[in-house]
Amino acid sequence: MPKGLLIDTVRCTGCRGCQSACKQWNLLPGWGEAPSDEYDTSFSPTMTNPPQLNAYTYNHVEFYEIPKDNGEISWHFIHTRCLHCIDPACVSVCPVGALQKFDNGPVVWDQTRCFGCRYCQNACPFDMPKFQWEQAWPKIQKCTFCWNRLEEGMEPACAKTCPPNAIEFGERDELLARAHERIRNNPDKYYDYVYGEHEAGGTSIMYINAVAPEKLGLNTDVKKESYPDYTWEFLSKIPVEIAAIAALLGGTWYFRKKRLEGKASVTSGKEAK
Amino acid sequence: MTNHWTDIANADVILVIGANPAENHPASFSHITEAQERGVPLINVDPRFTRTSAKADIYAPIRSGTDIAFIGGLTKYVIDDMADNLHNYNMTYVREYTNAPYLVNPAFKGPVDLDGLFSGYDATARKYDKSTWIYQLDENGIPVRDMTLTDPQCVFQLLKKHFSRYTPEMMSTITGCPQNKFLEIAQTYAATGKTGKSGTIMYAMGTTQHTNGTQMIRSYAMLQLLLGNIGVTGGGINALRGESNVQGSTDHCLLWHILPGYLKVPIDTDVTLAAHNLRATPKTNDPLSLNWWKNYPKYMVSLLKAWYGDSATAANEFGFHNLGKVDKDENYSWIPLFKNMFEGSIKGLLVWGQNPAVCGPNATQTRQAMCKLDWLVVAELWETETAAVWKRPEVNPADIKTEVFLLPAACSYEKEGSITNSSRWMQWRFKAVDAPGDARPDLDIINDLMKRIRTLYQAEGGPNAQAITDLDWDYDSHVDPRQVAKEINGYDLTTGKLAVSFGKLKDDGTTTSGNWLYSNSYVEEENLDDFEKANIDVMFPGPEYVGNRATRRWVDVGAGGYSAADGYKEVGLSNYWAWCWPVNRRIIYNRASVDLDGNPWDSEKPVIAWDNVARAWRGDVPDGGAPPMNQGGYYPFIMKSEGHAHIFGPGRADGPFPEHYEPWESPVENPLSGTQNDPTFKIWSGGLDVKGTPDQYPIVCTTFRNVEHWQSGQMTRNLPWLVELVPEMYVEISEELAGEKGIESGDDVRVSSARGQITVKAMVTKRLRPFTIAGKTVHEVAMPWHWGYMGLSTGPSANVLTPNAGDANTMIPEFKAFLVRVEKA
Repeated sequence: MPKGLLIDTVRCTGCRGCQSACKQWNLLPGWGEAPSDEYDTSFSPTMTNPPQLNAYTYNHVEFYEIPKDNGEISWHFIHTRCLHCIDPACVSVCPVGALQKFDNGPVVWDQTRCFGCRYCQNACPFDMPKFQWEQAWPKIQKCTFCWNRLEEGMEPACAKTCPPNAIEFGERDELLARAHERIRNNPDKYYDYVYGEHEAGGTSIMYINAVAPEKLGLNTDVKKESYPDYTWEFLSKIPVEIAAIAALLGGTWYFRKKRLEGKASVTSGKEAK
Repeated sequence: MTNHWTDIANADVILVIGANPAENHPASFSHITEAQERGVPLINVDPRFTRTSAKADIYAPIRSGTDIAFIGGLTKYVIDDMADNLHNYNMTYVREYTNAPYLVNPAFKGPVDLDGLFSGYDATARKYDKSTWIYQLDENGIPVRDMTLTDPQCVFQLLKKHFSRYTPEMMSTITGCPQNKFLEIAQTYAATGKTGKSGTIMYAMGTTQHTNGTQMIRSYAMLQLLLGNIGVTGGGINALRGESNVQGSTDHCLLWHILPGYLKVPIDTDVTLAAHNLRATPKTNDPLSLNWWKNYPKYMVSLLKAWYGDSATAANEFGFHNLGKVDKDENYSWIPLFKNMFEGSIKGLLVWGQNPAVCGPNATQTRQAMCKLDWLVVAELWETETAAVWKRPEVNPADIKTEVFLLPAACSYEKEGSITNSSRWMQWRFKAVDAPGDARPDLDIINDLMKRIRTLYQAEGGPNAQAITDLDWDYDSHVDPRQVAKEINGYDLTTGKLAVSFGKLKDDGTTTSGNWLYSNSYVEEENLDDFEKANIDVMFPGPEYVGNRATRRWVDVGAGGYSAADGYKEVGLSNYWAWCWPVNRRIIYNRASVDLDGNPWDSEKPVIAWDNVARAWRGDVPDGGAPPMNQGGYYPFIMKSEGHAHIFGPGRADGPFPEHYEPWESPVENPLSGTQNDPTFKIWSGGLDVKGTPDQYPIVCTTFRNVEHWQSGQMTRNLPWLVELVPEMYVEISEELAGEKGIESGDDVRVSSARGQITVKAMVTKRLRPFTIAGKTVHEVAMPWHWGYMGLSTGPSANVLTPNAGDANTMIPEFKAFLVRVEKA
């Protein structure tokens, strides 16, 4: 059964434990440790830091000060990261199969295969895959859904660390039901919408919020159907030479590596090491 | 905490004031969220709109340092409402369990009569003669009570008179809180006064760090008593302790004026142990008052036996004269300590797990003080600002004569031992990894140090050498924390076995206990209870830990307290998770949670209940095992000599009722009375102890902590993941003040006080708003105090600006309200 995460920003206290725990589990660089000092943060007037999701930050908490109608202030905290689409566009466009969708939910990239074409970046309706621009051999980076923790029967690091249980891990179906139930039980506290239920045909990561999702930076222009169809349309507009070169490069790389035995199983979710 | 973390989920209303649990106690929010999702309102009162405010159902801003005006207003609302809606309050609780009916000496006068002062004030000594702050006694020496609460001299009527001035208008004039917000909060919170309802107050350093911080906490506690919220589930007065083990270190006498278990430090007039015990042991003539502290001598002698072993005998008063005796009326807390250092009378300093160069008030003077020492020893994980004080940016190291020793210490994951959390739970922690390099656990460092000192004293002697040489100190080179935990629990010397509980401690030298409050935490296997014996393998992590109750990790919630079979709701007492002082009592003063027959006020969520058939209590460990009051029991507040909770509290230095006074540095004249400041706190002078005036420094400043950094920052400013989140020191400024000064977010601004100035980044935000105080606009700014000149992330210290002005009762510095000037740099 596909897993999911329900992110309840009404519960979230903005402690950023998820952002730090993500870095800890994935051994991502912090201040002064990234390959380029461009990643070293400075004072942030909003608290949000680093300013955006980047190749070394897979989980990014953003702060929104929103004035209320009565003149009082409300303050919202939401973390962005790959939503792990049920039918991911990135997987469908990757010429070398570096991105895989596991049956249990995660959309995982294989660093050894990625050759940096960035098709996934263009294809992703949520703008989540990030690129290591400063690297000689740059790779795509994004949230892994802690697939390697899931394999060991553990929940993702972000969910494990969250003090107010604002990040809940479980079966996607059950989480979806829980999301609707919580909205139903607290209609005054929740905006009646589960973001991720239908976006891009449905995502593994879903959000419920106090306000309309677009107020918290969630892209509500995303289509409600799965994206691979659209991405084929998009790809068809790419000059055929580029597509051919990409395919050729990818193919060459693929055969040269002769990694037939390393072919990631898209059914078990146990592979891709 | 009178209650515990898990219990917050049981509240009907949660009031967070002077605290920011979302940021400073993030784990607590699982309990708050649980309550909120049941429909429980979270109220937050704070000068700043914080991440806690963001989660609150009702948020009210108040100017820093005006809690008593706000809570006084709430108290007046409750007292007035009692006249109109008596049925909404548990008046039996107020009458029977508090000192509200007590008649007070007619000579007692209060601020209504004396323009902000209480009777007996000596302005020269800045001290009260408390001889009029007493009860009227009957012929047996027992306080006289008026159970109708109508006598004008009864505490309830005096309270009513005292708070009569705290009208919503006056509250708003002082605090700047809009009256409609206040009334919304008053109505919501007063509803917890109904029998069977409860409200919890969560507070922290936002309350304590004022010149009248103790009285602010008193005002919370008194409101809770009027509402019948002490001793019950979902109630209590709950201090959110700022460090994992600060409760434990307080219990074990971190503070200068107490010995372990809150025994009193001897003073110069305690010429004998008997004289000390006489002074320290409260008395009552009331046979219905249990007066638990009557056992004081047993705990004192057991402590002396734990420390001095065989050399403590009845003949030498159990080594009582080995203890240092402090000068009566002298204070040895933080501010005077560093003041004495600054003036040169203290020559050496051991600094353990703290960073005075950053965390102390008036930091420049604090740093200068440490550089006047002959020697300074710092046991730490990193080279902190304190360890590096001799080479701090503004000095030439060659000019500093202080010899500094930095001892590498193991961190919490690198050693074994216990911590005691805010819930009073003693929880065992195991070592995960070895400490790097030469780093050692604190216990091993102090052991090594102590043995060397003892050797020197044995060889060379010295003043009161016996205090060192007679110590019962027989640890190996590596101290086993279990041995220490057993000594803290104590022994019955007649059997050589671990003491069962403090009820068995004696004053004849046949028992030991390093801390009577912790007696019962570590027992022999034969003394475990039936449930523990039946589940011994699950309860303890291994045979070598059997009996060490701090290691218990029984998570089946049905196992302790009540079960559904009793017809009760499980209230999360967690009786077999770790161990809780005293005697595993999870909610203290729990005898106030039942009526005179022992029936819970809240039959849904009881703490304890009297079983008339079994003639025994069910649920939590009751405060004393006697039957209910109507069946020959005692008054419920057993730690008070009279047995009743103090609405009238004559023990405080600055008055038996809380009164609003302005912070030492305030932009306004006290709108309530002609008494501007707390009349009894000590005013320091000399050096950098100067007071700023509002004409030069018109803006209120307060300090706070981020969730991303911790305390003085040595642990977090060295972690790249956390530095990335908040890399620089800053000041929060309202849009209105920023507009006046032409400041934009990210600008460098100079913030100065009478003590110094710092240049930091401006964070312009809607989360701070100017206050209207007595018709005048008052701006408030706020700064985190995490930064210093060492570590991965460095920056100016907020405490360069804060004053050496300490609370009248505790001397905790007034970090939370002082005056500054803000300019674009």
